[in-house]
Amino acid sequence: MKVIVAEARMPFARDGAELHVESLVAQLRLRGHDAERVALPFHSRKSDLLDQACAWRMLNLSSSNARPIDLLIATRFPTWFARHPRKVVWLIHQHRPAYDLYGTPYSDFTGNEQDTRLRAQLTALDSTMFAESERIFTNAQNTADRVRRFNGVATRPLYHPPPIADWLHGGPYGDYILLVSRLEPLKRVDLAIRAMAHVSRSVRLVIVGDGSQRAALEREAARSGAGDRITFTGALWGEPVAEMYAGALGVIYAPFDEDYGYVTLEAFLAAKPVVTATDAGGPLEFVRDGVNGFITPPDPIALAASINRIAADRSLAERLGHAGQSLARTITWDGVIEQLLG
Amino acid sequence: MTRLRILILEAQVPFVHGGAEILVRELASALAARGHDAQIVSVPFTDYPKDEILAGAEAWRLLDVTKAAGGDVDLVVATKFPTYFARHPRKVLWLVHQHRAAYELAGTRFSDFAHTPRDVALRRRLIDVDTRMLRECVGRFTIARTVSERMLKYNAIASEALYNPPKLASRLHAGPYGDYVLTVTRLEHVKRVDLAIDTFEKTTSSMRLLIAGEGSIRYELAEYVERRGLRDRVAFLGRVDDDRLIELYAGCRAVLFAPYQEDYGYVTLEAFLSRKPVITARDSGGTLEFVVDAVNGYVCDPTPEALAHAVNRLAADPALAASLGERGHGIAASITWDNVVDRLTAEPGIPPLPATMAVQ
Repeated sequence: MKVIVAEARMPFARDGAELHVESLVAQLRLRGHDAERVALPFHSRKSDLLDQACAWRMLNLSSSNARPIDLLIATRFPTWFARHPRKVVWLIHQHRPAYDLYGTPYSDFTGNEQDTRLRAQLTALDSTMFAESERIFTNAQNTADRVRRFNGVATRPLYHPPPIADWLHGGPYGDYILLVSRLEPLKRVDLAIRAMAHVSRSVRLVIVGDGSQRAALEREAARSGAGDRITFTGALWGEPVAEMYAGALGVIYAPFDEDYGYVTLEAFLAAKPVVTATDAGGPLEFVRDGVNGFITPPDPIALAASINRIAADRSLAERLGHAGQSLARTITWDGVIEQLLG
Repeated sequence: MTRLRILILEAQVPFVHGGAEILVRELASALAARGHDAQIVSVPFTDYPKDEILAGAEAWRLLDVTKAAGGDVDLVVATKFPTYFARHPRKVLWLVHQHRAAYELAGTRFSDFAHTPRDVALRRRLIDVDTRMLRECVGRFTIARTVSERMLKYNAIASEALYNPPKLASRLHAGPYGDYVLTVTRLEHVKRVDLAIDTFEKTTSSMRLLIAGEGSIRYELAEYVERRGLRDRVAFLGRVDDDRLIELYAGCRAVLFAPYQEDYGYVTLEAFLSRKPVITARDSGGTLEFVVDAVNGYVCDPTPEALAHAVNRLAADPALAASLGERGHGIAASITWDNVVDRLTAEPGIPPLPATMAVQ
């Protein structure tokens, strides 16, 4: 089949969504399909949202060079505005500031008349686009719940393995807790840093990733009283990250209402337990408290207590980690692609 | 040198991979090699049905290419239609081509624009909005003189031709002047491969024609060769990889490349970098910017007889082929990416001329 996978992202930015799309294209090709990526620039500025949706609407992707394109897979706002007779949505996320993030500090939408109207418009337009799609899936249950809540559309999640799955493997349960994340406010890396003051002095925190909050987080680490036990490696990808996972005692991952989050599955594929928070969203679809990790309130002291439990008992870390690994290994690309192509 | 954040604007034709795509990637590498941050922005383009053409242009107009992660974009480089519809205060044009079917191809068998009121109106409209968008550019370059001439003729806008070396430039080399003539081309009507085939019905030597490339009319052409009984003289190699292509260039007697109104065509430069003469036609466009008759190749009438005459001369005299090819090499070697980068990133100085003054 000739398949286009559509994505939208800011030039020069690299994030999980981009990897998601690259992996999907690669997996389709592996199975003999002719897959190609279409990626338009995207900016989250409120005043640009409708123009960008309109730009996507201008695109008729039903054929290329006089040959039909069999299927369009849309992934995020506003890619589902493109025109195609067979459009399948595999929703990574909508424009979250207008949806679930509205009313939180993470949204730039206010309650004024203009913003309220724009939110209503975006929701209504998204719903219209979903209605013209042949099928809709999401990347996670959390995302599916949001689509049901805001757009009244019933969908179900299609889980896929993380992009670095092939590199991941288990290893010794070392002396550090690993945190892998873009350093953005929504990822709440500060929670982990503040937890370190309450964590056994034999345990270090290694933070892999980069982002707009890097400098602020480094200051926070220096102030935390545990600065000598916190390391920032900067952004890493692929094998070096897999090695970081392999040597970790466990993984901490407590973002705010994450959609899916590869980190949970990456940790599990490396047989490491995951410490997460009750409001972390996506990770809660996989983490079971006391079974393959710990779920605590989003509070430094509670997170620290969970870390201390695995620090005090390496065999517990190992047991939880292996339970996670069994779960993560059931998620494969074969299942995803079969569903998407229908 | 100031490090610039640059977006190269590309019109993507999904599932089709051609010369323009390579050009854009090469430009990105050349910019990066000179210390700039360059990224490609691609928006799909379709010209079918014709009503979609303006919609595709409108998409570019709606997108914001002035901002990117980590700050402002300093410069955008527009390439094909309709990328120059993007809005940016420092939009520099390096024009690959406009929508040719609405320009010089209209009325030929290579265009789907007919002489109907509707098509004529759409053509006018396209040329008119193109002109406005092209005028917005603060620097105007094209990939070849043919393209500049076309823009002057149809849009009354002056520009400078800015050449780039072909992708294989550093690896091409000379070899023996063998017993075959090479054609490297996509197999499409506009490349006029049938003319090359007909030529070998008229040649008097045992020289063969090898055709490297793939395309939508491959079977049509293969059947044509069969019908003319030329199977022993003409062979289709299909798509060949770079290593093979380099060797094919190295071992040929000459290169025959006689498309209709080609814009640039790397083939000429690739032939010259391999020290081979180029046989082309008077109406081949871009090849004529480099090929000088009897100096580094032959410029013939677009007829099998005229082209066959040139093939016969080179077939009879390998030393002549070598000396013509050597002179071609001198021209091709002076074309560099450094020059392209310098010109495209030069500070916009003098404001662009009003269109009325740009007409010579």
